[in-house]
Amino acid sequence: MAEKLSLNQKIAKLDTEVEWFYSDDFKLEDATDRYKAAVKLAKEIENDLNSLKNEIEVLTEDFSK
Amino acid sequence: MNSLTPTEFLNLVNQTLDYSYSSTVIVGEVASFKVNQGKWVFFDIKDAESSVNCFMTLWSLRQPIEDGMKVMVRGVPKITKWGKFSFTVTSISPVGEGSLKKAYEMLKKKLTAEGLFDIGKKRPLPKDITSLGIISSTGAAGYADFIKIINARWGGIHAQVAHTQVQGMDAADQIIRALKYFNEHGEVQVIAILRGGGSADDLACFNDEALVREIAASKIPVITGIGHEIDESLADLAADVRASTPSNAAELLTPDRSEMSAKLSHTINRTEQLLLQEISRATTQNHDKLNNLSRSLLTDYIAPAISQNRQTINRVSGALLTRYIEPLRQSNHHKMTQILQKIQGECNLAQQNISNKLRTLEALNPEKVLKQGYAILSGKISPGNVVKITTFKESITAEIKQVHTRK
Repeated sequence: MAEKLSLNQKIAKLDTEVEWFYSDDFKLEDATDRYKAAVKLAKEIENDLNSLKNEIEVLTEDFSK
Repeated sequence: MNSLTPTEFLNLVNQTLDYSYSSTVIVGEVASFKVNQGKWVFFDIKDAESSVNCFMTLWSLRQPIEDGMKVMVRGVPKITKWGKFSFTVTSISPVGEGSLKKAYEMLKKKLTAEGLFDIGKKRPLPKDITSLGIISSTGAAGYADFIKIINARWGGIHAQVAHTQVQGMDAADQIIRALKYFNEHGEVQVIAILRGGGSADDLACFNDEALVREIAASKIPVITGIGHEIDESLADLAADVRASTPSNAAELLTPDRSEMSAKLSHTINRTEQLLLQEISRATTQNHDKLNNLSRSLLTDYIAPAISQNRQTINRVSGALLTRYIEPLRQSNHHKMTQILQKIQGECNLAQQNISNKLRTLEALNPEKVLKQGYAILSGKISPGNVVKITTFKESITAEIKQVHTRK
C-alpha cells in the first residue's frame, strides 16, 4: 500500500523531485518519467490545497478562575 | 443588649464592609506612594475633595505606579485593628493616556534592562503549522478576522482556542492562565495572542508585567497580533514575533494557498522548459555526431577505397564504353542519317513543284502580253460609248465610232 503523505511532505517531495533536474544526477533517459511524476504530484498538491480545511476547537476550560 | 469587644466590633464592621463593598473600583490620582520592607505598598488615592488610604502587597503590583498617576484600583474597604480605615487593593492599573504612557515607559525600561526583550531570544515561527493555540475573545472582531483569513489562506490546522477577556482588569490574569494551559499541555506548535484595535485603556492589559514575563517565559513560541500597527505593547516586545494586527498574524502564520498554487504552476513550467532545453541540446549534439561520423567515413574509408580501386573503375568504365555505349551511339547515328536524307528528298521535290507553278504563272502574266505590243480594251463595245485602252506604257480613253464583226 502506498505511503500516505501529508501536504507538507508532498511539497517537500516535489521540491526534491525538481531539484533532481538541476543536479548532476540528471539523465535525459529518466527525465520524462520523472517530469510526469512531478506533474502528477503537483496536481495532487493542488487538489489538497483546495480541499484542506482547518479545525477550530474552542476549549471548554474556564480561564476566568 | 449584647456588648462587643473592640475586636468583635471591628470584625463585624469589616464583614459588613466586605459584604456591601466587595470588589469596589475607585478611580483617582495617586499620592504618597511608598513601598515598605520590600513587601507592602501604601498610597493615597484622591480627587479634589477627598482622599482614601490604600494598602496592597508588592507582588500584586503589576505595573509601575508613582505619584500623580491616574489609576483604577479594585479592592475591599477595611478597618484595621488600630481603628484606621484603609482600602485593601487587589489590583491597580493606570488609566488615561498620560498615566498609561508613563507606566509603559517605566516598565519597558525595567524589563529591557533585564533582557526580556532581547532580539537574540526570539525564536522563529515553525514553517509547517498543523497545531495552533489561540488566546483571544471569541466574540471580538479581531478574532473573527484572524479565523476568516487563516481559513482562506491555508488548511489542515487544528486550532485550539482559549476564550479570555482581552481588556479590563481581569484580562491579563486570564491570558496568563491560557498561556500556562498551552505550555502545560504541549499540544500546539505556536501560540497566537489576538486582540483587535482599541483605546490605550483597552489595550493596557497587554502592558501587565506578569503577562509580559509569562510571554517571555513561554516554552512555545508566541506571536502577538494586538491592536493596530501603531499600537506597540510590552506583550508585543516580549513575543517571539509581533504581527501588526490579528489579520497580519494569520498571514505570518500561514502560507497563501493561491500563492502556493501559482508557485506550483511556475515550478512545473520551469521544469518543462529545462527538460525541453535538454532534449534540444541532446538532439543538436546527436546531429553533430552524425555529421562528424559521415565525414569521418568519407575521409577515412570511402575516399581511400575509391582511390585504391580507380584502375579497376577505369577498366570497367572503358569496357562499358566500348561494349555498350559506342555501338549504341553508332546505331543511332545511322538512323539519324537515313531520316535526314529522307527529309532532304522531300524538300527537293516540293521545291521542284513550286518552280513549275511559278513558270506557268509567269507565262500568264498580262504585263508580259502588253510588253509584246498588245493592248487591253475595257468597257461596253458599242458605237458612241467611251472605252478604256491600256498599253504597256499608256492608258487611253477613246470613243467608239463603228463596230464591225470580223470574218
